[in-house]
Amino acid sequence: MTVAVLDGGSYYHHDVIYGDRFRHRFDRAIYAPDLVEDDLEGVSALIVADRISPTVLRAKRRIFHRYLAGGGTLIVLGENQAQTWAPGVKWTFVPTNFWWWLDRGTDPGHRVPGLDHEIFQHVTSKDVIWHFHGLLHPPAGAIPLVTIAPEAGGGPDGSILYDHPGIASGKGRMIVTTLDPFYHTGSYFMPAAARFLNGLLDWTDATFRAR
Amino acid sequence: MIDALLLDCEQTEGGVDILMKRPDLGSRIDVLPLYELERAELRRYRGLLLGLHVDQRYLATRRNQIDSYLAGGGTIVFCGHMATPFLPDVSTYRPIANYGVADLAVKRISAHPVWEGVDTADLTFRRGVSGFYGRGSHEPPGGAQVIHGLGADLHPVDFEHRPAGGGRLLVHAGADLWGYLDSETSAARMAPQLLDWLRVPFHGEKS
Repeated sequence: MTVAVLDGGSYYHHDVIYGDRFRHRFDRAIYAPDLVEDDLEGVSALIVADRISPTVLRAKRRIFHRYLAGGGTLIVLGENQAQTWAPGVKWTFVPTNFWWWLDRGTDPGHRVPGLDHEIFQHVTSKDVIWHFHGLLHPPAGAIPLVTIAPEAGGGPDGSILYDHPGIASGKGRMIVTTLDPFYHTGSYFMPAAARFLNGLLDWTDATFRAR
Repeated sequence: MIDALLLDCEQTEGGVDILMKRPDLGSRIDVLPLYELERAELRRYRGLLLGLHVDQRYLATRRNQIDSYLAGGGTIVFCGHMATPFLPDVSTYRPIANYGVADLAVKRISAHPVWEGVDTADLTFRRGVSGFYGRGSHEPPGGAQVIHGLGADLHPVDFEHRPAGGGRLLVHAGADLWGYLDSETSAARMAPQLLDWLRVPFHGEKS
């Protein structure tokens, strides 16, 4: 079982993917502009690191769709404009509030309806509470895992993490989030992002590599 | 000549958006998608602005173009952490291990036109929080002018350098300097002063 990661070539991708802290978490790293179909042979999960050039990702659409149709799992992290290339993704912009935590006692609006989901055996609900980049609107069949409450501006279905099993004729699966942990972890800033990434990779280790 | 070419990495809420809200500055800058660099006529620009989100693996493949731009008297401003070296004499980023707040204090080592009138306290803190400006450094090449250092060890977070092959480099080991433009402090002075600095002829520039 193989976990692969897409590398966008930015310094934070380099630090997380090839640095001492996380490199043992990935079996295969693929530089996104070079991605070809054969790279995904035998890959059980492909992590699309956050903040890869959306132009590059759009150019690889056919490969992603084919991978999903073949039963692959795509884990799509934030700021990738996934709504322009990944199936079923709907996203709306909301200005990022980087400063919510300066007002003690402020509720940033995060809710975790998916607490019994397997991801939360590895990620603590506290580690998903940090600024997020826009809202996802999970399509039919997707399971919202972290939502933003309507009173905090999340609207009826605003979500920042969901699991969409059974896409591409039932074979593929997508995990989608608006969180961008590679950027913050590789920038040595924001410990919550590093804890989230660590938990997420504990989950990919347990689910896609251990068998 | 146009003051600067900025290579865009299509990030929402990035430095490009902030610059382009201001026609006085936006009128002095061309913006081109990063991967179109190979088709850009760099000699039309005094400066090339490279921000933190650039695909450094791609830029490393453009080394000949970068070197000839510098040899022709161009200035490159790089903000970010060097991981895949693509500029002459600039080696990889060194994070400050287990930094504390005191390690992140910005101290001025030498005056520079880009930072004229910028209070280092406005670089050290944003809304009372430190660490945005820098959390590490690049080794300054021999002869470089170090502008700011971080903490007691003065980790060189900013320097200007004249590579032997010609041109100028301004290297900031942190987020885009032009991203401070919407700040309500003296830090907002950096972006316009950067464009003004690019306009001033310098020794070694091709006329």
